Amino acid sequence: MAGGLTYTAVDSTSLSTAEIYGKALVELGRAHKDVVALTADLAKSTKIGDFQKEFPDRFFNVGIAEQNLVGVAAGMAKAGLVPFLSTFSQFASFRAADQLHTDICYQNVNAKVIATHSGTSFGQAGSTHHAICDIAVTRAIPNLTVIVPADGMETYNAVMAAYETPGPFYIRINRGFDRVLYKDGDYGFEVGKAVTVHEGTDITVIACGSCVFQALQAAEFLDKTDGLKVRVLDMHTISPIDRDAILKAVGDTRRIITVEDHNIDGGLGSAVAEVVVESGKGCAFKKLGIPRTFAPIGLHEDIMSIVGIDSNGIIEAVREVMGKDFELDDDWDDEV
Amino acid sequence: MADLTLLTNKIFLNAALPLVKVIANDVPSLAKKFKNVHAVIQVSALDSSMPAGKAATHFVVNAGEWQVHADKVSSRVHVELQFKSREAMNAFFKGKISPATLPKMIGVTKNLKAFVAFMSVLLKMSSLLGSTQPPETVEEKRLLVKCFFYLLSNGISQLNKNGHEAVHNWALKSPDRVYAWAVDGEPEVSAYLRVRAGKTKAGRGEYKRSMPFFKMRFDSLDSALGILLSIDDMLESTRSGKLIMDGAPEFGAQIGEFMLLVGELAK
Amino acid sequence: MALKKADWLALEKKAHELRRLTLDTTFWAGSGHIGGGMSVLDMLTILYHRYMNIKIEDPNWEDRDRLVLSKGHAGIAYAPVLCDLGWNDKEQLKTFNHTNSKMGMHLDSNKVIGVDASTGSLGHGLSIAVGMALAARVLGKSYKTYCILGDGECDEGSNWEAAMTAAHYKVNNLISFVDRNKCMIDGRTEDVLGLEPFVDKWKSFGFIVKEVDGHNFNELAEAIDFALQNDGAPVMIVANTIKGAGIDFMEDNYVWHYGAIDEEKYEDAKKSLDAYYKKRVERAEREGA
Repeated sequence: MAGGLTYTAVDSTSLSTAEIYGKALVELGRAHKDVVALTADLAKSTKIGDFQKEFPDRFFNVGIAEQNLVGVAAGMAKAGLVPFLSTFSQFASFRAADQLHTDICYQNVNAKVIATHSGTSFGQAGSTHHAICDIAVTRAIPNLTVIVPADGMETYNAVMAAYETPGPFYIRINRGFDRVLYKDGDYGFEVGKAVTVHEGTDITVIACGSCVFQALQAAEFLDKTDGLKVRVLDMHTISPIDRDAILKAVGDTRRIITVEDHNIDGGLGSAVAEVVVESGKGCAFKKLGIPRTFAPIGLHEDIMSIVGIDSNGIIEAVREVMGKDFELDDDWDDEV
Repeated sequence: MADLTLLTNKIFLNAALPLVKVIANDVPSLAKKFKNVHAVIQVSALDSSMPAGKAATHFVVNAGEWQVHADKVSSRVHVELQFKSREAMNAFFKGKISPATLPKMIGVTKNLKAFVAFMSVLLKMSSLLGSTQPPETVEEKRLLVKCFFYLLSNGISQLNKNGHEAVHNWALKSPDRVYAWAVDGEPEVSAYLRVRAGKTKAGRGEYKRSMPFFKMRFDSLDSALGILLSIDDMLESTRSGKLIMDGAPEFGAQIGEFMLLVGELAK
Repeated sequence: MALKKADWLALEKKAHELRRLTLDTTFWAGSGHIGGGMSVLDMLTILYHRYMNIKIEDPNWEDRDRLVLSKGHAGIAYAPVLCDLGWNDKEQLKTFNHTNSKMGMHLDSNKVIGVDASTGSLGHGLSIAVGMALAARVLGKSYKTYCILGDGECDEGSNWEAAMTAAHYKVNNLISFVDRNKCMIDGRTEDVLGLEPFVDKWKSFGFIVKEVDGHNFNELAEAIDFALQNDGAPVMIVANTIKGAGIDFMEDNYVWHYGAIDEEKYEDAKKSLDAYYKKRVERAEREGA
């Protein structure tokens, strides 16, 4: 974990995720001369303007040209720099998919993609600016570490870890107005290791990004009202995914619900399902996400509610799964 | 017939009597007695409201191999201990032995060996379960705790299946959960109870399919006996670490209450 | 006159060796992108054997000049160059394109020593080269970055994104080439997707453009000399070339973008290359200083 963490709870409540990212980048820039930042005309939106101000010679805006953005970053990484490039998730993953796949990942260079405005967080911009398939695409690219931080603190940790870990990174953050999940950064963030945010043995909810906070809220509510004990895992690293945490959830609770601000096909849910199925163990399973459609326009909170990935949607899903019987034998005779 | 009588009898038929098999198998001197026994042995209580005129639990023994048929009447029986009524059976097993509660012994002369063997197990069972102090040997301690665990999980399940209000309401509200009893270092000494939406199932051994929702764990056989024989106080045992609750304490308290219920009815 | 006769003749000899080696590799592999390999070889020869600041004993020297072969499918010609330098075992050419071989159609920068970027997907190389050139600026290094594009490749929009960035940031430590052989897979470039006025396009994107004969070492040298002392806008050298140059039955024929070489064609091609070399030497003798 990074030393010199200077943000307290007060800071994190007033700073959005993107702003924390911006400050993290400046911190890295000050400590390491090889850090450079790039954007495709989104310095303001992705809040890396701070870096630009302090290190104008290490900041490059390539204009609205995402493919070039990624290619140039790859070239810089090849030459020994550590480039952090940011643009909207949909463009980082789809517009520049070939460059991401070939120039960065196939060459296995030390470039870090900060993909902002992920999921439906830029709700009112509509589907042209929503990124609902990017986890599916990026997790399938070899050499790429895919992280979906849950809030500002986790974004900070992820950015720092990205610098410390050689290789390509894709860090998928929101527009920047996330609910605070972690009051400080010292909760044991480790790439590839899920964080248990709430303990429980009835069922496990595995979530990423903005859905983790929602899952925690749902868990606390269900404990109070239904007496249900819900385990919540912050699965921030989608690739490589924490197989042990998933298998433990299968063994301990035998019921898993996944939640993500992403299409239910191909993202976190599918990644978790793969681990569950490969284990050969029985487990009740349900994916929550955008149901194979393009999302409507609206405020992020409203869209999350409509597609059922907010706390209410999770509560409903938990109740539904808890009500299902999955013992193969319906033998209710006492053993004698 | 009062509900309580029926409930109590159900516990004896379904939870207590099946322990005969456990004891017969676990105590070598008793197991020897059944090596050459081939017989059907039944313990019944006359009840005119039943289609067969009685309720019973019967055992099919084949050279030491036991099959337990709890709460099932058999017409082809070699030895039968027939009680006048359910009340009589209840009283007998609670230790109130009198001419009014003694059962009629049927088929003794023709199947003396089987009868004698069975009675010796029954006697062992009543002395074990009637203990007020822990047994001397480790083997007997192990057997006793095991019997208690089985008795309790089956007993609570019977209370639910037979409509005990408190237990059944609890079962109705419950999502699919497993409660377990265990002793550290003694994997054989374990039992569990699965509950879901009004249904219950008592099981023996460790529940393997997942982590139990709640587990009542004792750090030794002695600690277990301390609680089960009502020698120790539950709170004190918890505080001193003799009794460990894996899971939320409020669920432990609930299960503890039901354990006491079974104890009250069966003793 | 940029080239002394002796230097010119030395380059012609090296280029001939490399053309023969490229033909051999194509024959050993059974087939290859020989057309575009032949058209770009003279550029590769003059860069590696006259201009690029490299260390033979240290191919990964961090201050070396970089080369991004954006038209990555010319790997069939690039691999011989990198073997001939001594950076890779020449024997590997015999298994070019074979299963699990380290060398194939599009060279892997992690598997072949001397390859600065894993190109093959067209339109990426210029961006990567811009990145490398800008990195030199950030790191305060003086190495040059060379980039060679195909002309058909210039259909890809991403090239022009890179061009705008190069112009905007005055990336003049980047020297680019286009192998203008006027052929692509489906036909001649002007029949498939017209590129003309090609030179004007680069000029309007903010480049200083030098148009040369891509098979004339003297013209190439003049253009590169200019680029090296230029501190204005970035330079683009549009090298007019002939696809399949040197092999008579391939020359200027788009069909030979990718082709198979059997025994018979191999012998014919060898004869043709020898005759071509003779002509090239004659010109050097005639025109060299």
